Amino acid sequence: MTGPVPPEDKRFYYSLLPFIGVSMIVVLVLAAVLAYYSLPAVKKYGATAILGREWSPSEDNPSKARYGLLIPILGTLATATIAVLIGLPIALSMVVLTEEILPYRYRGLLGSIVDVMAAIPTIVYGLWGLTVLAPLLRETLYKWLHARLGWTPLFACNPFTGTTYMTAGILLGIIVVPYIYAIVREAYRSVPKKYRHGIYALGATRLEAVRLIMGMIRSAIAAAVLLAFGRAAGETVAVALVIGSAFNAPRCLLAPGYTIASLIANQFGESFYYPYMANALYLGGLLLLLIGIAANIAGLRLLGRARSLEG
Amino acid sequence: MALIAIGLLLARGRGPGTGGHVTLQGGGSSFLYPQIQAWIDQYSRENPNVTINYSPTGSGTGQSQFLQGVLDFAGSDPPLKRGVWEKYRGDVLQVPVIVGAVVVVYNVPGVGPGLNLSGEVLAKIYKGEIEYWDDPAITSLNPHTSLPHEKIMAVHRSDSSGTTNVFTLFLHKAAPDTWPEDLVGKTIDWPVDSTGRGVGGKGNQGVAEQVRQTPYSIGYVELAYATQTGLPVARIENSAGRFIEPSNETIMAAAEGAISGMSIGPRDDWNPVFEAIVYAPGEDSYPIATLSFLILRASYNDQAKAEALAGFLEWLAHEGYKHVVKGYVPLPESARHVLTDAANILRGAQP
Amino acid sequence: MKGRLALDKAFTLAVIIVALAGIIPLLHLLATVAVRGGEAILRAGPGFFTELPAPPGSRRLGGAAPALAGSLVLAVMSTAIGVPLAFGAALFLYEFRGTRLARAARAFLMSLLEIPTVLVGILVYVLLVVPLHGQSLLAGSLALAIVMLPYVATYVESALRQVPQTYREAGLALGLTRAQVALRIVAGIARRGILAGLIIGLSKAIGETAPLLFTVGGARSSVNINPLRPGDAAPLLIFHYAQTPYDNWRMLAWGASLVLVAAVLLIYVVAKAFVREVRM
Repeated sequence: MTGPVPPEDKRFYYSLLPFIGVSMIVVLVLAAVLAYYSLPAVKKYGATAILGREWSPSEDNPSKARYGLLIPILGTLATATIAVLIGLPIALSMVVLTEEILPYRYRGLLGSIVDVMAAIPTIVYGLWGLTVLAPLLRETLYKWLHARLGWTPLFACNPFTGTTYMTAGILLGIIVVPYIYAIVREAYRSVPKKYRHGIYALGATRLEAVRLIMGMIRSAIAAAVLLAFGRAAGETVAVALVIGSAFNAPRCLLAPGYTIASLIANQFGESFYYPYMANALYLGGLLLLLIGIAANIAGLRLLGRARSLEG
Repeated sequence: MALIAIGLLLARGRGPGTGGHVTLQGGGSSFLYPQIQAWIDQYSRENPNVTINYSPTGSGTGQSQFLQGVLDFAGSDPPLKRGVWEKYRGDVLQVPVIVGAVVVVYNVPGVGPGLNLSGEVLAKIYKGEIEYWDDPAITSLNPHTSLPHEKIMAVHRSDSSGTTNVFTLFLHKAAPDTWPEDLVGKTIDWPVDSTGRGVGGKGNQGVAEQVRQTPYSIGYVELAYATQTGLPVARIENSAGRFIEPSNETIMAAAEGAISGMSIGPRDDWNPVFEAIVYAPGEDSYPIATLSFLILRASYNDQAKAEALAGFLEWLAHEGYKHVVKGYVPLPESARHVLTDAANILRGAQP
Repeated sequence: MKGRLALDKAFTLAVIIVALAGIIPLLHLLATVAVRGGEAILRAGPGFFTELPAPPGSRRLGGAAPALAGSLVLAVMSTAIGVPLAFGAALFLYEFRGTRLARAARAFLMSLLEIPTVLVGILVYVLLVVPLHGQSLLAGSLALAIVMLPYVATYVESALRQVPQTYREAGLALGLTRAQVALRIVAGIARRGILAGLIIGLSKAIGETAPLLFTVGGARSSVNINPLRPGDAAPLLIFHYAQTPYDNWRMLAWGASLVLVAAVLLIYVVAKAFVREVRM
C-alpha cells in the first residue's frame, strides 16, 4: 500500500514504530561508532586507506606503516559472490528435491537436517573446512583447475595450499545453503496447493512446474539471495580459518587471501600495539556497512519491481 | 525481564568479598592460557573461595582490556612496551610466570627430525631468497641428509602474535644483515608472500595444520604444538654456534642466561630481559626461547582482590613449577623471587 | 512430448546431483560432529553437563558445565531481546511496506548482515563493556540479538508475505482493523514460517562465535549464570579449546558442538509438533 495512513489504523502504526525505531537506531549507533573510530585512519591515510593495496604494520615507526583495504574489500565481494553462486543452485535443488521428488515420508527429515545446519557453530564449519575441505579441494579440484584452466587469470596461480579464496567461497556457499533453503522452501510450500495441483493437471512436466512456481516466489528467492550475500560477507570465524590470510589480490582464486571480516578477526586482537591499525579495521567494517546499505537499496528496488509483478 | 531482575538480585549477593569469595577476571595471551588454566585448576582445589577466570583473547587485547579497567589482570607474552610502561609506571606490576619456546617444524617427505638450520638460513627462506630445499646453504648444514629439489612453502602467522614477535626477533639477532629491524614485530609484511610461496595460518594451530597438510613446507610454532602434532622439529644454531634441540634443559638454560644477569623487579621495564632471552648466550641455550608475563595493578580498590592475587602469586612461586603442562618450561629458581616481591607489594608490605 | 519428457528426466537428474553436492558435505559435517562429539560425551559421562573442564593434557575430560549454562542464559536472553524486536519490525515492514520509512528501515536492517559479526561484538564491547568495566553475559546477549535481528525479521516478513492477499482482503472486508488482520489472520496462517524465524534466531544465539569473543569473558573456572558478570558460552569454549593441542580439551570442544546441534534439533522437533501445518 502506498500513500498516507488512514486514521483508524494510526494506533497500529504508532505501536509498531518503536520496534522499527529501535532497530534503526541500533544500526545508526553502530554506524556512528564505526565512523568515529574510522576517522583517524582516513585523516592519516586519505584515499589510500580504502584504495591502497599495501598492509604493512609498524609498531615503533608509525610513519612507515601502511594500511590499505582494497584487497580485503575485493576479497569480501569475491568470496560472497562465489558463496551465492554455489549456494543458490544447491539450495534451490534441495527445495525441488524436498517438495517435488522425495517421497512424502522423508521430506520432514531432510528439512530438519538442513535447518539444524544453521545451528552448527561457525567455528565447527571453520575447523571442518580447514582439516577436511581445504586439503581435499587442493588435491582434487584446484590441481585440475590450474592444469586445465590455468590460462585464465582466475586459475593462473599455482595452488600450493588448500586455504584460498576459492575454499572460503565454497565453505561460505555451504554455510548459506540452510538460510536460502529455509526461506525458499517456506515460500514454495505457501504456494496454495490448488495452483500446484492445477499445473500438473494441465500436463506440465516437473521441470515446467518448478519453473512456474519458482517464478511465483521470485521475491522470496531474491530476499534469500540478499540474506545469503550478507551472511557470507559478514562471516568471520569460518573464513578466517580457511582463507589463507595473505595479501594477494583476488584475481587468482587459488591464492590465499583476506576478507575484511577475517582481517579483523586476525589482527584486531593485537591492534592495540599499532597506532592506526584498529582505525583502519573499523574503516573496513564501515565500508562493508555502506556497501551493504547500497546493495540492499539497489536490490530492494529490483525486488519492488518483481513483487509488483507478482500481484 | 524476570531474568534480568533475578540477575540483579544475584549481583548484589555475588559481589567480591561477600562471604569471603573472590572472583578475579583475567585475560590475554593465548599461549599462556593452557598453563594458567592448569594452575587455576590446582589452586582452586586448595583455595576454593577464590575463582580466577582467564579469557584467551590475545596479548594485545589482554593488555588493552586490562588498561581499560575491564580486567583485573592480563596475561601477555611481550611485556608492556616501554612507552606504555612509562605512562603507567608505579601503577602496574609485571611478573614473568613461565618459559616457552618457538620451534621450527617442517614437512619434507623422506626427511626426519633434527634438521640443522641457522638463523641466516631461516631469514633467507622467509625473505624468499632461498627457494629450494636442496639449496647449498641448507645442504651444507646437513651433509648427511638427502634433500629434494622442491620449492619451500613458508608458513607464518596470519594473526598478530607474540610468537611471530619472538621468531622475527631471533631472525634479526642471528642474521642482522639479512633480516633488518623493521621486519621485527608481532605482525609484519612477510617478504616471502610476494613470491607466492608464503601463506598465513591462524594461530599456532593454523600454522601446524598448514605444515602438516602441505608437503615441502616449513613453519614456526610454540613447542607444545610441535609435540602434540608430531611434526619433525629442527635443531637451531645458537649464539655459541651449536645446533640445539628444544628441550626443557636447553630452554631453561636460555632463561637462566637472560634473567640471572639482571637485577629486576615487578615495577621495572621487562623489555630488556624479554629481548635477552632470545638468542641468549650460553653453550646449551636454545636460541628461540620466550617468556610470558602477568600484568597487574600495584594496588586494587578492593583489598580482597589484592589479597587473592598475592596468594596466587606466592603459590606460583613456591608450587607452580610442580604443575607445568607439557610443552611449557618452569621459571628458573633464580627468577621466582619476582613473584614473591609482587605479592608483598600487593599486600602493602613493600614499596 | 518425448523431448519434454527427456528434458524433464535430465532436469530431475541434475537437481538430484546438485542437491547431493550440498547434502553430502553437510552430512559429513554432521557425522563428524556426531562421532567425535559422541565419543567425548560417552567418555566424560553425565559429568559432561555438570563438571568444570579438566586441566589441559589431563586424562580426564571433566565437563563443559560453565559453557552450557552460559549458552542457555545467552539463548534465553538474546531471543527475549531480539525476537520481539525483529517480529515487530517485520510486522511494520509487512503492513506499511510502501512508506518511505519502511524502505529506509529495510535497507538499514539488511545492511546489518554485512557487518562482520566480530565487529558487532567489538562495538558492543566499546559501548557497553568498557563503560561498565566488565564483560558480561548481558553484553554477549546484546551482541547476539543485534546479529540475529535481520535474519529473524527477514524470515518472519517473508512468511507474512506468502499469505495470499485474499485472506487479508477478506479480513479487512469483514471490518477488522489492520492490526487484527495482521496479527490474528495473517500471522496465524504464517505461523510455520514465523516459527522458522524463531528457530533461526535461537540457532544464531547458540552458534555464533565472533560476537562473543570480546563481550562474554570466557569465564570457565566456575559456573556463572549471573547476566551481569562474565560467563562462558559453548561456541567460545570450542573456539578456545580447538586451537590448543590438548586432546582432552579438543574432545570437550567436539562434545559441546554435539550438544549445541542436538539442542537445536530437539527444540525444532518439539516446536514443530506443537505448531500444526496450515493447509490451504
